[in-house]
Amino acid sequence: MSIYILKRGLMAILVALTVSFGTFALFHYATDPAQTIAGEDAPQEMVDDIREQYGFDRPAAVQYFDWLGSALQGDFGESYFWKQPVVDLIQEHAKVTVLLALAALAVTILIALPLGISAALKPNSWIDRFALSTAVSAQAIPNFWLGLMLIILFAVTFPIFPVSGDATWQHFVLPSLVLGASSVPAVMRLTRTGLLDVLSSDYIRTAKAKGFTGYRLILQQAMRNALLPIVSVLAVQLGHKLGGSVVTESVFSMNGLGRLAVESIFNSDIPTVQSLILIFVLTFVLLTLAADLINAWLDPRIRMG
Amino acid sequence: MRTRTPVPISTRLAPVLMARVLMARVLMASALVASLLPLCANAGQKDNSLVVAFETPLTTADRLYSRQREGLILSRLTDDGLFYVNPESLEFEPLAAESYEWVSETRLDVTVRDDVVFHDGSPLTAEDVVYTFEWVLKEDSDTSRGAVIQSWLESVEKTGPRKVRFNLHLPYPMAFRDMAISIPVRKAGTYDGVDGIENAAEDRPLNGIGPYRIKEFSAGREIVIERFEDYYAASPKANPAIETMIFRVIPDQGTQQAELLSGGIDLMMGVPPDVADNISHLPGVKRKEGNDIRIGYITLDAAGYSDPDSPFTNLKVRQAINHAINREEITKYLVRGSAEVVDFACHPRQFGCDGDGPVYAYNPEKARQLLAEAGYPDGFSFKLWAYREKIIAEAAVSNLKAVGLDVDLRYVKLNVFSKVRNDQDMGAFFASYGSGGTADASASTGVHFAKRTARNFSGDDGLSETLLAAESTIDTQERKRLYRKALNRIAEQAYWVPMFSYSQNYLLSPGLEFPVPKDGVPRFWQASWSEH
Repeated sequence: MSIYILKRGLMAILVALTVSFGTFALFHYATDPAQTIAGEDAPQEMVDDIREQYGFDRPAAVQYFDWLGSALQGDFGESYFWKQPVVDLIQEHAKVTVLLALAALAVTILIALPLGISAALKPNSWIDRFALSTAVSAQAIPNFWLGLMLIILFAVTFPIFPVSGDATWQHFVLPSLVLGASSVPAVMRLTRTGLLDVLSSDYIRTAKAKGFTGYRLILQQAMRNALLPIVSVLAVQLGHKLGGSVVTESVFSMNGLGRLAVESIFNSDIPTVQSLILIFVLTFVLLTLAADLINAWLDPRIRMG
Repeated sequence: MRTRTPVPISTRLAPVLMARVLMARVLMASALVASLLPLCANAGQKDNSLVVAFETPLTTADRLYSRQREGLILSRLTDDGLFYVNPESLEFEPLAAESYEWVSETRLDVTVRDDVVFHDGSPLTAEDVVYTFEWVLKEDSDTSRGAVIQSWLESVEKTGPRKVRFNLHLPYPMAFRDMAISIPVRKAGTYDGVDGIENAAEDRPLNGIGPYRIKEFSAGREIVIERFEDYYAASPKANPAIETMIFRVIPDQGTQQAELLSGGIDLMMGVPPDVADNISHLPGVKRKEGNDIRIGYITLDAAGYSDPDSPFTNLKVRQAINHAINREEITKYLVRGSAEVVDFACHPRQFGCDGDGPVYAYNPEKARQLLAEAGYPDGFSFKLWAYREKIIAEAAVSNLKAVGLDVDLRYVKLNVFSKVRNDQDMGAFFASYGSGGTADASASTGVHFAKRTARNFSGDDGLSETLLAAESTIDTQERKRLYRKALNRIAEQAYWVPMFSYSQNYLLSPGLEFPVPKDGVPRFWQASWSEH
């Protein structure tokens, strides 16, 4: 197991370095950070001054390895746009994103698992059709549209929740619904399919013969095996939510990592973008690794190799 | 020769406009439902506060270190300079300065008012003024406008208890502009003894002399300012009506609309005209239209920097492009509001914008004829780069295709656009310039034609010399003459396709009184609640 973890860890570092270098190269060759920092209408003197001040006139390789060298020592540099240490900036924004991602994951689980289980227990019934149509709808609706519709309904027409911001728990309700809804189809379908497969297996027949029925049969016997692929998908979905809530955070004006990433990209804030990419990649790889480990814990066959 | 019948822009772009207003219409339908319910109160009318949406975050409250337009808006509330821009005449007039006198073309004496106090209660002195400008002149102060100020200001000295002398490298008529827009006065010692000058200076509480002071500054979220009761009564900005102002960062315009309808904000700026049309019909929303000094234009690579054999090095081709663009229709149907067709490389309200050279009327036949005379009877292919107002760039492309040109629109983000433009690798691009809100032709012409900057695609040294001469004299009549000469030269050589001035749309709560600015930069100290 430790060799497995080591291999996955090394792969994560390799992926992060490759992505980081690719990002830097794209920024360096496709954008002019000095002009972006100076502003659209800035005079040439100001742009030249910034180019020199920030060292953009140095060779690209020197700039990249300077940053990488510092990053390896835990210094991710200072944001060109916010003029703050990138670490502080990320810490400040991560709180909102982590809260939002966990709340959205809870929404996904609360909607997708009951729907999936109900659909599997009564295949081809109205519940099954309702669950499938819910999944198709959730998959078809873009996040920004759903977000705006929820704002219109629950913040403008019936002012129950605030339109935007992240100051109180009420601010997280609508964004969590939007972000959580996007994962419902995948998790619901997987729950339904997984449970249907398990319910037709021999050991369930044996369990039934031994007298297991109802919730004891489903939760104690069937779900343990049906959960395996769901755990993997939930881990991937959590990764998406931690790194990919860009649209939701922008629509609801939440100061999370997604919005920080967008602002940093548009402002050519290379140190912040580089650091965020590293964090997103590592988070994703670590969550996938965690899912594999949980699966191994749930299923002895995986542990045995 | 290929000929196409031009279809009016209003018809061609109808589907695009429809898609753009979808969100506004959904909001309108929703708000009509909401109107059946009790209406939400305006955000700030009850407690005499004003909540304004900012689309982009402001990273610092200190104008000396801010490069954003939002910084300028905030600074006009929390800071005063020695001079200010009169909102009516758009001319530069004394503010914290009591009077001024040009002792010579390169020496300016300023007398500082004796009734101005900083937000910490200390009086404004000549030492503070000297300190501020000396700080900006320091190489390592890293202020946002340092390089510009250093290009004309040599030194500052105290010549009396309230008198300061500015020694200039050269006669520089725009000194008042920089003092009014870029350099707020700081208390002597503000930036002293700070380790890591830039960061620490930006983080420290702002001690300005403006009619409002900062109460809370949360970068990326909101800024709260409150009325400064000891602000000097003789100021044209004295006695502002609103007690507290809150600037909330809301990047998405759809969300801003929802906040306005739900009473979360009182005012939003920069609203696209089609969206403003729809939303402004709703109960609880008022629309205001104002001017903007910003102009839109197409630059053509006359110097051949991107390609020495570029068709744009041919005058007849550049003239053909000018004749091909239907500026009237673009202005009337797409920019709308108070936008005007612009004939020269400046905004008509800018000082010196008095060109009387050739004006290129929309004439596709003439454009085709000129292209044929230039040796391109079947047109040619080129890329038109753009980074904003895609719909206008598309309209221009459509016009150009109608005269037989094969145009590929390259619509990119500003940071990508800047890179390609600064590498001078563009044959033609649609862009805009706001002149920093400066009502003087030097602002629009200087950056684009006066020097060998990355924006100068004319390669015209004679034109550059004319403009440099205009920037180096304080003789008003001579400046006018030189700008007329330069603007006529730009028009004769068709270096640009000057297109239109912009219009600004504001959506606000009905009870809010807010005089729209003539230069596109709001002065919120003029705002008030009518029913308060």
